[in-house]
Amino acid sequence: MMRFNYFRPASVKEACKLLNQHQSEAKVIAGGTDLMVQVRDEDKKLAGMKTVIDVSHINELRYIQEEGNVIRIGAIVTHDQIFRSPILKSAAPLLPEACNTVGSPQIRHRGTIGGSICNASPAADPVPALVALNAEVKLESVRGERVVPMVDIFEKPYKTNIGADELLTEISFKRLSDASKTAFIKLGRRKALAIARMNVAVVLELDDQGIVTEARIAPGSVLPRPGRVSEAEEVLIGQKPTAELIELASKKVSAVMIERSGVRWSTPYKEPVIAVLTRRALNQALGVE
Amino acid sequence: MKTLTIQVTVNGEAFCKTVGVNMTLLEFLREELHLTGTKLGCNEGECGACTVLVDGKPVNSCLMLAVEADGAEIFTVEGLAKDGTLHPLQEAFIEAGAVQCGFCTPGMLMSAKALLDKYPKPTAQQIRKELEGNICRCTGYDRIVKAIILASEMNKEG
Repeated sequence: MMRFNYFRPASVKEACKLLNQHQSEAKVIAGGTDLMVQVRDEDKKLAGMKTVIDVSHINELRYIQEEGNVIRIGAIVTHDQIFRSPILKSAAPLLPEACNTVGSPQIRHRGTIGGSICNASPAADPVPALVALNAEVKLESVRGERVVPMVDIFEKPYKTNIGADELLTEISFKRLSDASKTAFIKLGRRKALAIARMNVAVVLELDDQGIVTEARIAPGSVLPRPGRVSEAEEVLIGQKPTAELIELASKKVSAVMIERSGVRWSTPYKEPVIAVLTRRALNQALGVE
Repeated sequence: MKTLTIQVTVNGEAFCKTVGVNMTLLEFLREELHLTGTKLGCNEGECGACTVLVDGKPVNSCLMLAVEADGAEIFTVEGLAKDGTLHPLQEAFIEAGAVQCGFCTPGMLMSAKALLDKYPKPTAQQIRKELEGNICRCTGYDRIVKAIILASEMNKEG
């Protein structure tokens, strides 16, 4: 087992001071469901780590609130708490759905939404849902705070541009309108306790005439950095979502995957499958089979 | 700091111990308190053999630092039987033949305990979802599901 110093700050202010002091020698632990595995493996991601800063007792980071039409989630809220939140069930049902597919009950009781983002796994289940919600994250440090679109913090798999002295403290997004239709689909190697092979989150909005006015399509585990696929969204916007257009939009996701990720060993598998998952997600959101 | 003094309640008994900050809750239970019912399986949160209840919720004790459990109430498989009388879940596991090699059983029992606290009358589907973090390589799960249903019926009668 790796050796390290351990600090348990009681406030965000104290945590930021510690991060400022220890900089890149410090790692933040919240639920520990990713970090503990890396600690045990002496993962090279942790090279140079001398200090662990435990934020799991910072109660000011444990909240799910709605202000106006903005939903704010404290960084140490667990996947299980998100799944059981009545606010999120009505404001953004795809997020609790996605969080309920993470790991197992044991993992969902410890793992946090902030930790899931900071670990930056391309297969994280909450991330595509948050991408489709256009989520922003708040980063705090002794220098101050900044709020940035969540997608902007991802550099590459398992790497973010969050500063060594910064702490991710909040995730926020606008409540979806009542007319929004959403879906989240995860494909794993087995039904239980699987890391997503691929996943996809979609949000659609239609007007009274059945014309798509808003489309957000966020696939996971297929792009170098999490993000929406506007090329596929544009196929649907301003149109009635016919089976043909849904098929076209879904295939666009495969094409964009290859454009952005290049042809990799997994491409012959992922190319048809991400299109099928996208089609299923769009159909599920629209309530057609 | 390399060590820290923590206070925890384990199966109703209060403990105050100084532990290394890199010790897991699983190591603490097994090596400090000698409660070896909780098993070390994969050591990475995949198998569920190390499942214990922390403040009533099932967690992988191999993925939690002992220092993170400071102030918590912990419940392990040793806390199920009372004064030599088995818990209805333990009776049901025997009755239904839900134990083969037995290595997963302590973790299964803890997940099952949390499950029955949440859904006193669970469906087979709910059982399979709540036990998704516990792997059994012997039984094929059917008898475990049956045992939990049986225990839920015993609960009702009791």
